[in-house]
Amino acid sequence: MAADNLPSEFDVIILGTGLTESVIAAACSRVGQRVLHLDRRSYYAGNWASFTFNSLLLWIEEYKAQQETPSTNSVQECSDQIENGEEVVFLSSVDSSISNLEVFSYVSEESADDEQPMAPVMYSLLTAVEEINGCNTEAQHMDFNACTEGDIDPQNLQGKEQTSQSHEPCQLKENQKDQQPITSPEKVEVKKKITYSTLLKEGRRFNIDLVSKLLYSRGLLVDLLIKSNVSRYTEFKNVGCILTCHNGKVEQVPCSRADVFGSKQLTVVEKRMLMKFLTFCLEFEQHQEELQDCTEMSFLEFLKCKKLTENLQYFILHSIAMVSQDAPVNNGLKATQHFLRCLGRYGNTPFLFPLYGVGEIPQCFCRMCAVFGGIYCLRHSVQCLVVDKETGKCKAVIDSHGQRLGCNYFVVEDSYIRDDQRIQRTYKQISRAVVITDRSISHSESDQQISLVTVPPLEPSSPAIRMVELSSSSMTCMPGTYLVHLTCLSSGSAHEDLAPVVSRLFHVPSICTEESVQGSEENEKPVILWVMYFNMRDTSGLDSSSYNLPSNVHVCSGPDDSLDSDFSINLAESVFHQLVPDEEFCPPAPNPEDIIYDCDQGEGANFENDSHKEGVVIEGEDVPQENKQQTSSSETTASIGQEMNKYDTQSPSQVNNP
Amino acid sequence: MEDYDYLFKIVLIGNAGVGKTCLVRRFTQGLFPPGQGATIGVDFMIKTVEIKGVKVKLQIWDTAGQERFRSITQSYYRSANALILTYDITCEDSFRCLPEWLREIEQYANNQVVTILVGNKIDLAEKREVHRQRAEEFAEAHSMLYLETSAKESDNVEKLFLDLACVLIREAKQNTLDNNESAPMPGEGKNINYLSCCNIN
Repeated sequence: MAADNLPSEFDVIILGTGLTESVIAAACSRVGQRVLHLDRRSYYAGNWASFTFNSLLLWIEEYKAQQETPSTNSVQECSDQIENGEEVVFLSSVDSSISNLEVFSYVSEESADDEQPMAPVMYSLLTAVEEINGCNTEAQHMDFNACTEGDIDPQNLQGKEQTSQSHEPCQLKENQKDQQPITSPEKVEVKKKITYSTLLKEGRRFNIDLVSKLLYSRGLLVDLLIKSNVSRYTEFKNVGCILTCHNGKVEQVPCSRADVFGSKQLTVVEKRMLMKFLTFCLEFEQHQEELQDCTEMSFLEFLKCKKLTENLQYFILHSIAMVSQDAPVNNGLKATQHFLRCLGRYGNTPFLFPLYGVGEIPQCFCRMCAVFGGIYCLRHSVQCLVVDKETGKCKAVIDSHGQRLGCNYFVVEDSYIRDDQRIQRTYKQISRAVVITDRSISHSESDQQISLVTVPPLEPSSPAIRMVELSSSSMTCMPGTYLVHLTCLSSGSAHEDLAPVVSRLFHVPSICTEESVQGSEENEKPVILWVMYFNMRDTSGLDSSSYNLPSNVHVCSGPDDSLDSDFSINLAESVFHQLVPDEEFCPPAPNPEDIIYDCDQGEGANFENDSHKEGVVIEGEDVPQENKQQTSSSETTASIGQEMNKYDTQSPSQVNNP
Repeated sequence: MEDYDYLFKIVLIGNAGVGKTCLVRRFTQGLFPPGQGATIGVDFMIKTVEIKGVKVKLQIWDTAGQERFRSITQSYYRSANALILTYDITCEDSFRCLPEWLREIEQYANNQVVTILVGNKIDLAEKREVHRQRAEEFAEAHSMLYLETSAKESDNVEKLFLDLACVLIREAKQNTLDNNESAPMPGEGKNINYLSCCNIN
């Protein structure tokens, strides 16, 4: 994997591989711009990344090292690269966008730290990671596939037995070896006991997202993925159900028509009422007369005014519109409408989740950029910008290897910006918790779903919390575990904001001994195996006036706190139009299946010319790309129509209550 | 509608300059050298082959240059049925990097992936730096198939892809026989274009 030198001139240099930067990279490269895309990290996607369990531990380790020895921005000497009439603007070499990171492990393994399974445990655990990594040869022979979802299947159980035994050579401490034989017989009857070393062993089966997002099936991201053909790089799964924490219980939210009528929580009157209201929301713009007196109201007041029962107000406000109590009526209606329009495009809920985690999506755009000639370097940063004093524009950057790279535009993620270049230094924070549990929070028959759980504020002053529970079928956690992401806008530290909800919804083992975990098997609540809390900076409120930087430098915010990624896509599109005003944003890439190669003649030159600008199929006798696109979008419209009809034409009374 | 019995995704990896693109182009188009820049905008190449009456569509993915600075996206490895790990027999360095590539495979590729090690450029035999036996031993130690090719002379290029197709067909048949529901691996989810709208209840 030899590295060679970079070219010295680019149209656009992009630093940071988060979603916004990656979309900009793909869009620029797609229309023929020479793009260099860098990231100082060794992985893609920045704060959008997904980690295996083991690499997450390394990420945590890195964070801790940074906390203990806060490295200052060293002022490098770049003067030999600078000419007359130029000045330098330094970038930050430290990423401070993550804070308040705390980790608690509740799986048995570390006898020494039993009583206080607190963050310090991490140190010894991390040593364990390294040592186990050292045993890779043994690990390789493990058949991960022997472990699967179905716990009942005796064959699978056998597979699990083998798996857990095969890691014995890698175990480190005496007492662990002792535990092994004790637990083995129980495994046949009880669920497989998950220990810390199981998590490490199966670590690669986890893809733990730093940011928890879902895709609205008619949201900007889905539209962009389809339009640009970037969708070919990844696969999705439907979110199976929407739950909410209501009266201390986890209940399913009736959202689709089928749900509404199948619901056991709602009375017949409520069902009609809800259907009528949802149908109204779908085309609320056409019912201005009904809204005339309500424009000043909050959405909640409007729901009350519509005489919806408290149950229904609750579902609509918190789980369908997902807006705060004081949100204006128009916002609530729009959010409800968006939700309803997305319903049924791909499944029973409005949402999709990318297999292997959210971190896949930025990488897909990076792939598209590379396919169109963009150059990629991870572990490679920019020390400083070279600014022309006369024009005030950034004309080059000096990379972390000291090479000067010319560019017309520089796009950079916010976390690379130094505080002294910020005019506005206050921003929001996102509170996050990542929980690995042993079973699903939902009591439905299918335990391999992805669920969205809305948790309204516990007290009026506390934030509404959004929770996404992923099963192993999403390829983000090992079979037998669930990965739960909690997100809210911070009012305090992540632990302060989220721990009360975590302890309410999950069983937090008090001492991490085997007995406590086994004993809780009867407990209805999922048991926490491992949990991590952290805060992430949310700079989505900032714009170009918040930074003191040259006009051809564009700063991209990291992830925002919302459930969708619309903010990032909008930002990417707007930056793109500032860079290349006359070009289309992410036109469809030619479909390789439509490229007909004639084996007798080189088509290279021909292809190159066409592909850059037009996005039309080359030498294609097949349907030209653009037509194809239209075909598919008209199909889409058809299905919107169908879905709307479902609300319009069938009156509630026609449907039987099962 | 589609005219094939099997569709397999084959992914090429290996150091820059070992001839990955040349192998693909030689196989899919019979071209050598492929000409620089011609791969711009081409995501993957398709070739349908027929093996004992079975039509197999091979979707062959190239690295898009991301290997140059060791920056291949993880998503590149997802859902590949086979990996062609390529090195240059005239370049010791490209062989020494193989363990690094194997680590990536282990991290990101699915467990059932078929891996074949390919020593390319055997037309430059006089410049050979990596002995065949050494490579064979390495391949065996890591349960990979092994083959030496020349994209330039078209030696073993057809064989490489056809052998791979045979192995993949065999595995696919095996999987159907076992009716292995315990292996939901790639394709568990769906491509966004194919997620149907009909599962609305």
